[in-house]
Amino acid sequence: MKKLRFVILLLAAASIFAVHAQAQVIVIANPGVKATDISKNDLRDVFTGAATALPGGGNVVPILLKAGTVHEEFLQAYIGKNDTAYRAGWRSLVFSGQASMPKSLDTDTAVVEFVAHNAGAIGYIGKSTAHEGVKVLAVR
Amino acid sequence: MRLAVRELMAGAMLTALTLSIGLHAQEFKVGSKTVQVHGFGTQGFVHTNDNNWLTMNTSNIGSGAFTDMGLNMGMQITPKLHIGGQFYDRKLGKLGDWEPLMDWAMMDYRVKPWLGFRVGKVKTVLGLFTDTQDMDFANTFALMPQSVYPIDLRDASIAHEGGDVYGKEKLPNKLGSIAYTAYGGRRADNMHSGYPYLLTGIAGITLTSYGGPVFGGDFRWNTPVRGLTVGMSRLNEMITGKGSYNGQLGIPAQPNYQENSQHDWTNQYYGKYVKDKLHLESEYRRYYRDQTIFSGITWVVTDVRGWYMGGGYTVDKWLELGSYYSHYRIIPSGGPGISDSYPDAQRHDFDKVVTAKFTVNKYTYLKVEGHFMDGNATALYPAGFYANVNPNGFADNTNALVVRAGFSF
Repeated sequence: MKKLRFVILLLAAASIFAVHAQAQVIVIANPGVKATDISKNDLRDVFTGAATALPGGGNVVPILLKAGTVHEEFLQAYIGKNDTAYRAGWRSLVFSGQASMPKSLDTDTAVVEFVAHNAGAIGYIGKSTAHEGVKVLAVR
Repeated sequence: MRLAVRELMAGAMLTALTLSIGLHAQEFKVGSKTVQVHGFGTQGFVHTNDNNWLTMNTSNIGSGAFTDMGLNMGMQITPKLHIGGQFYDRKLGKLGDWEPLMDWAMMDYRVKPWLGFRVGKVKTVLGLFTDTQDMDFANTFALMPQSVYPIDLRDASIAHEGGDVYGKEKLPNKLGSIAYTAYGGRRADNMHSGYPYLLTGIAGITLTSYGGPVFGGDFRWNTPVRGLTVGMSRLNEMITGKGSYNGQLGIPAQPNYQENSQHDWTNQYYGKYVKDKLHLESEYRRYYRDQTIFSGITWVVTDVRGWYMGGGYTVDKWLELGSYYSHYRIIPSGGPGISDSYPDAQRHDFDKVVTAKFTVNKYTYLKVEGHFMDGNATALYPAGFYANVNPNGFADNTNALVVRAGFSF
């Protein structure tokens, strides 16, 4: 009985941690972007250069963080690659002429600032970062 | 003089690349638009226990005549319109010869996700990796499976001057998505490529031009199984080679030598699976060419079938391990081309490969790779081993060590 209780507690803790881990990153977009939510697949497509528009219309432009915990967490949760492999994928598109490298910014605040003032921009920041002037996209 | 100019240009490119590395990727403005500058470069070393490989003198100490680099500029003019171009230069043993090439230069207009156009000199989509084979930083292996992506014949399918129509569309009922590319144009090979080099050695033919119209397409399905992609490609070509022939084979010399393909096509089928740190790939390519040679005096059929299966696993952020088996075979034809009279070792090359890729940082890496080759596939069509650099003949089997370091930014 004690064992069962321990396992349940462990699973609960693990699930809370998993939710907590994903919840640290939020996806933001310029207010002009029509969508209010985005699927994980669409998010991955946009941030790997496989798509330049969201379903329902509207071109979007991904904005990246240069490095850091939020960046690593975003890649882990939604792209499934480490930073080196992720940027190598983008460079493959660049060197075959299929895309330009997305803009990479130093801080969450810079991402908010850029996304707020550039049509179609979509980025990600830490949940605790102030994000006035942008809309938050729910990831489903 | 020409060589000096080439070396100067190669040096200029290397300098530009080195400077750029120090500063990482560069950007500058043209009006209100940003131009991005990116580059890559690699330096390889190859040692073989027998047979000189890939036109290098690899069988003694080894050879470091294995360098390539690219310099790229691109600009996103509007969300739908992108323009760019890339210079590429390489030295691979006797190939490349430091002659800088316009690798691609094109305008890309994406009207809708399902409809886009590319115009200019465009990278050819053929199977999984033809258009990205130079991007060593993105690949697990120091040498791609040579049965499908022969590095000595890179020029044969790397790009075409013309246009593409392409697109991608999601399928209903969660059936995944499909992507297509259809293209047409013209191919023009560099004269420092494997095929012209082979002809000078075994036939006394010096080509001055080799190319012609090409058209084809690619269709791929990103299946509902996440990470699994399957597809097929087709390339049709109408190739004319022009040059001179010195009479080496007994046929009277021809100052205006010509060869023309009658049927010339490539079919490629492929599958790729990516899950977390694991990726698996397999492809099959059949290349068939029926051509008149010696200005129509005779003809030759080439029927090459290659396939491979392999993959890689990222053990840690600094280490990826990979392996593949590459199977290359020249099928005997009914004509005066590749006949059963060739020993079997000259009609196949089965290559077993193991690789370790070390990521130093986000810009640089090092690969160490072992090749264990059964057969040399030296029957007429080039497949890595050339009589030109193996004057004493060939051993049946070859083991090779390949070390390749590179950077990209």
